[in-house]
Amino acid sequence: MNIPRLSSILTVGALALATLVSPVKAEETVKVGVLHSLSGTMAISETSLRDVLLFTFDEINAKGGVLGRKIEPVVVDGASNWPLFAEKAKQLLEQDHVAVTFGCWTSVSRKSVLPVYEKNNGLLFYPVQYEGEEESKNVAYTAEAVNQQATPAVDYLLAQGVKKFYLLGSDYVYPQTTNLVLLEYLLSKGVPIENIGGGFRKDASGKIISAGKYTPFGHTDYQQIVAEIKQFAAGGGAAVVSTLNGDTNVPFFKEYAASGLTAETCPVVSFSISEDEFRGLPADKLVGQLGCWTYFQSIKSPANKKFVADFQAWLAKSTVPGIVKEGRVTCSPMVLSYDGVYLWKACVEKAGSFDVDKVREVWKSGVSFNGPGGKVTTQPNMHLTKNVFIGETKADGQFKILKSFDNVYGEPWLKGKFK
Amino acid sequence: MVRLFLIQTFLWLACGMVAEAQDARHEIAAATLLKGEAAQIKALNGLMGQADDAIFPLLEAWRKDRLFLYEANGKTVPVLLVGAKDKEGMQAAERIDTGKPLVDEKGAAIRLNAEDLNAVAHSANLRRVMKAVLDLTDLASSEPAKRRSALAAIGQAQQLEKLPALEKRLAVEKDADVLAALHEAIALVRLKSPDRAVKVAALKELEQIQSLASTDFIATVEKEAKLAKDENLAVHAHTTLLAINRHRSVVDFGGTLFRSLSLGSILLIVALGLAITFGLMGVINMAHGEMIAIGAYTTYVVQNVFAAGLALSPFGFSVMIPGLHATGWFKESYFLFALPLSFLTAAVAGILLERGVIRFLYRRPLESLLATWGVSLLLQQLLRLTFGANNVQVGSPSYLSGNWVVADILLGWNRIFVIAFAALIVFGVWLLLTKTPVGLLIRAVTQNRAMASCMGVRTERVNTLTFALGSGLAGLAGAFLSQIGNVGPSLGQSYIVDSFMVVVVGGVGNLVGTIISGLGIGSFDQFVQQYSPSVAGALTEVPWVGGFLQNLAQDSAVFGKILVLCAIILFLQWRPSGLFAVRSRNLD
Amino acid sequence: MSEAPENPLSPPPLSNSTAGILAFAAGAMLILPALDAGGVIDHFTLNLWGKYFCYALLALSVDLLWGWTGLLSLGQALFFALGGYMHGMYLMRMIGTQGQYHKPIPDFLVFLGWTDLPAFWKPFDQFTFAMAMVFFLPGILAFLFGWLAFRSRIKGVYFSILTQALTYAGALIFFRNNTLMGGNNGFTDFKEELGFALREPSTQRGLFVATAAALVGVVIFLRWLSGTKFGLVQRAIRDGENRTLFSGYATPAFKLFIFVIAGMIAAIGGALYVPQVGIINPSDMTPDKSLEAIVWVAVGGRGTLVGPILGAVAVNMLKSYATRAMPDLWLILLGGLFLLVVLFLPGGLVSLPEKIRGLWKKSIPATLPA
Repeated sequence: MNIPRLSSILTVGALALATLVSPVKAEETVKVGVLHSLSGTMAISETSLRDVLLFTFDEINAKGGVLGRKIEPVVVDGASNWPLFAEKAKQLLEQDHVAVTFGCWTSVSRKSVLPVYEKNNGLLFYPVQYEGEEESKNVAYTAEAVNQQATPAVDYLLAQGVKKFYLLGSDYVYPQTTNLVLLEYLLSKGVPIENIGGGFRKDASGKIISAGKYTPFGHTDYQQIVAEIKQFAAGGGAAVVSTLNGDTNVPFFKEYAASGLTAETCPVVSFSISEDEFRGLPADKLVGQLGCWTYFQSIKSPANKKFVADFQAWLAKSTVPGIVKEGRVTCSPMVLSYDGVYLWKACVEKAGSFDVDKVREVWKSGVSFNGPGGKVTTQPNMHLTKNVFIGETKADGQFKILKSFDNVYGEPWLKGKFK
Repeated sequence: MVRLFLIQTFLWLACGMVAEAQDARHEIAAATLLKGEAAQIKALNGLMGQADDAIFPLLEAWRKDRLFLYEANGKTVPVLLVGAKDKEGMQAAERIDTGKPLVDEKGAAIRLNAEDLNAVAHSANLRRVMKAVLDLTDLASSEPAKRRSALAAIGQAQQLEKLPALEKRLAVEKDADVLAALHEAIALVRLKSPDRAVKVAALKELEQIQSLASTDFIATVEKEAKLAKDENLAVHAHTTLLAINRHRSVVDFGGTLFRSLSLGSILLIVALGLAITFGLMGVINMAHGEMIAIGAYTTYVVQNVFAAGLALSPFGFSVMIPGLHATGWFKESYFLFALPLSFLTAAVAGILLERGVIRFLYRRPLESLLATWGVSLLLQQLLRLTFGANNVQVGSPSYLSGNWVVADILLGWNRIFVIAFAALIVFGVWLLLTKTPVGLLIRAVTQNRAMASCMGVRTERVNTLTFALGSGLAGLAGAFLSQIGNVGPSLGQSYIVDSFMVVVVGGVGNLVGTIISGLGIGSFDQFVQQYSPSVAGALTEVPWVGGFLQNLAQDSAVFGKILVLCAIILFLQWRPSGLFAVRSRNLD
Repeated sequence: MSEAPENPLSPPPLSNSTAGILAFAAGAMLILPALDAGGVIDHFTLNLWGKYFCYALLALSVDLLWGWTGLLSLGQALFFALGGYMHGMYLMRMIGTQGQYHKPIPDFLVFLGWTDLPAFWKPFDQFTFAMAMVFFLPGILAFLFGWLAFRSRIKGVYFSILTQALTYAGALIFFRNNTLMGGNNGFTDFKEELGFALREPSTQRGLFVATAAALVGVVIFLRWLSGTKFGLVQRAIRDGENRTLFSGYATPAFKLFIFVIAGMIAAIGGALYVPQVGIINPSDMTPDKSLEAIVWVAVGGRGTLVGPILGAVAVNMLKSYATRAMPDLWLILLGGLFLLVVLFLPGGLVSLPEKIRGLWKKSIPATLPA
């Protein structure tokens, strides 16, 4: 065997290898991170978001992907463990080099990954109602800000003649901030302070600095609080504004129903119960309670009908291990995740690049997408303008839409605004 | 004017049909077609005081979204869908204005699908008017409960024009409870009276019946009196308020006692199984919480089997459990079947756990803690993959929802049931341990394993039995918790720390200790929750940590829990082996 | 096997592997940062190893109590987190006005309605004070609790459950927003440490070196301690507390001392953990976290110096890998692993070679003494 022959064999071999490899190479993908808790306490809510994201990616890939590149999801489990969220975020950005991440539910998970995204100049799409008071250039807040949920709901209650408000929440940042804003808002609307229930907190000088009754995560015993509400509502004209997080709503509402309080005697408007949470609640006992979101599954529009049907069809065929196929519903955080993916796609396509800075510039210039909940438009402050709906729960776990506010501008900085 | 407008609308609606007498049906039909909430409210107000039998079902249907607008040939006819749905979801339609079936030009009955129609809209204000209309019709209802709630609403509305109707009822009403509500309602309405003497009399009356619902209204009277410089009336109102608040503190105390008992019973139920496995066998079962979850999920499955069945997708495989499609009382009785089944399922899981893991670790109690914690992680994720990460819905049968009010203290039926059942379970376990051969064996092994073994007791088998019993009791606890809280994969986690505390305070291996400690911890927690906000101010006097304590005490729910934990740590100083320690000369 | 099954761990810590672990940690201390600076490994990997080493410190503190003294404490996560919080308070103050509100007090205080810094926050502007508190606060808490617990002779399972109660109470207090320690969100978004920007790779390298050095220091300290008479008494307590007591040793005092030392070691781990991970919050002080740490020790091998470190690194590497590779099934994998180790490998990974040797010997028929 002489040398030239050897080299020719090698060349042929290399060529063959190249042809073997090249078809894979030709179909270039773009990596997209999905950072939700699939285990631990938050899996309850976040698993649905993972599902809808995978569905959206498949939908986009079926139509040719983004800028001609298929989306390749990198799903990681934050395991309801906040330091792990930070670690996973680092992994997504520094090892997988994802173009964008869709993820987080709790405020603390967002706060824990925020420095990572700012350091690496990544982009995180955050889809769940939150307390505001934040505006990072590395986060696209598709979530509802407080003025897209709490204040419209209170407006609605005031119009319905409610005079007394009991503020109840889980002890974390979102309820604390929401109640603080609501306290200022209610006072500015002329509600006397003795008509606001749940207790007040004063600073050293005796000035009231916040309001509301708070219970720890995973609290199971609401007997005393419901008894207090029962007395609060005894004179009529009262409502409960609840920012309890998903899980604790069950013991609360079971106790509420058992105490004989109903939506007619004292309605509860909840900001953390969507259709998805309803699957674990005794819906027949809650008929008439209120919710306020930027999307309800019951919206009667062709876009929504198609979205719901496509998602169900996708679920039926899905092979994701452990995915629940029966009795699934769609809800606002899911739709905002869905809208987020399409908004990102629109921004990328307009920018002609996956580069975060370019994508952000397009976002700030204002991009619209007609999603299942109606039109959403990006804002320069990284939030979204969207429609807000107030709904009433029905025995089948769906909401009946009572009122809608169109194109509400997302305003993250509300504290002190209504003074 | 309005009347004329209504008739016109109706005439237009009825397409030239000769108008019959203006009955409630027509008025409601016309109201459904009006534009704007205000007009509709006015129209419905016209129904106030009418005693037409049609009012109740129609307004109920309106409130519950069963009234629809049928549009054809540019005309809109309000209809009520009645009868069963056929295969296409079609139902018979009934005209609201006439109560007769809806027909087309040829006179054939039209069937409609609710999905295709728009339900007649209603707002909360409108519903309030409907309720007021129904309230007055309800005053004559045959059900005392309805009459009572109607009176409460009328009292709160404080409309003087309703007074004559109320006073008329005084002579007719026989039911003592309703009569009390009637007096309260009349007194509340009279607070609005322009006549000062009537007001004072009403205040006296409210003081006498200790009306908790009236405090806001009395406070308003006091405020108005002060503004009008009527010092005397203000003082009257103030003393009334004080008297009612005294009554309120008695009610609060009674309520707290009841809530203590109910929380204590729950702690007792969740800890009882653990007291047996931990107490009698010295095994720390960190998977105890998951045994509770298994019981709760069993209840969920049984509930669905009695209804339409259940489709699950564990690990991506679809499994369909057929349902019995039970109805009525049989469906409601599911819970009674779920109780023994949840005991059995958890007991079987317990046997598997004991045979598979724990029996290798009897000599290493601390390691049994670790191994069972591994099992607990595993089971949680298995539950999540089988039933989904979401909480599942377990409904309460009708006999467990509702409440009973004694002297203004609210006693929920589910809570009463839990208390009664805790008592029953404890009694059952006591019987089992003291009056049966199995119990004898269990006690023998607990007291002296080696000796029992020498006497021919098959201790291995007794271990398995005991573990099955403990796990089964946890399963029962799960069935109960499904009635008052979440059913989800991490259900057990919320109770595990609590149950350990109960067992430790009670003293290992002692049933009486467990009972007392469960009830004690429950009461401690509830009393702290009830009274901590009122003592928060006084806590600032405590040296060093006063400010911190005062701050903490304002979050009464957390404060209760934290104080319980601290109290337990201090309590064990006094009794290191719990309330009722097994006395032993044994040294390790 | 030469030892009784009840007591597989009685020989003193292995000296060979101690030397090994020292060499490994010291090597890692120098090589990994060098590789990082040279661009051979990415910052993420270095950072991850820093976190593992912090966990290793936590695992050592668990082992000091459990493996060497026979006290299974479910409270070590509390001390770890407290150490983290104390350092975190300093880091929060160093954010200055770079927070979301650009106010001189931490953001979470602003949205709780505070305008001035609460008094107990003020000394934490000083690095030295914060560092002193890293030792003192957990130390004092461990002393108080240990004094109460050991005085009344609470031991065994009771001790475990009581420490669990302590941790749970601590977590509940820190979860409250009005404790003014950041509530559920805890502390995050740190900017600077001693004037060095935390997002700079060089700062992270420095922190990694500090962590590895702390680990080496603690290992040397524990090695020395186990060789003294004190270490002997410690193991005597584990193997037979009453006999030790009757031999005239005041076992409660010994246990109290060990408990305080272990609390401080955990706190060092926590303090180093915070700037590297970038967040500290109450979910780090739940009983579950303590249990996790115990599992690391069990997996690695208790009663040794290598075991806890090996376990902490191995389990966390597995977790880092599995939460990415099999997000749905990793908990089952992890739970199953714990179960298997406890059941079939009570000596942990470090006993694996010996176990295999034992099996090998067993397979050769030999006459062994009963």
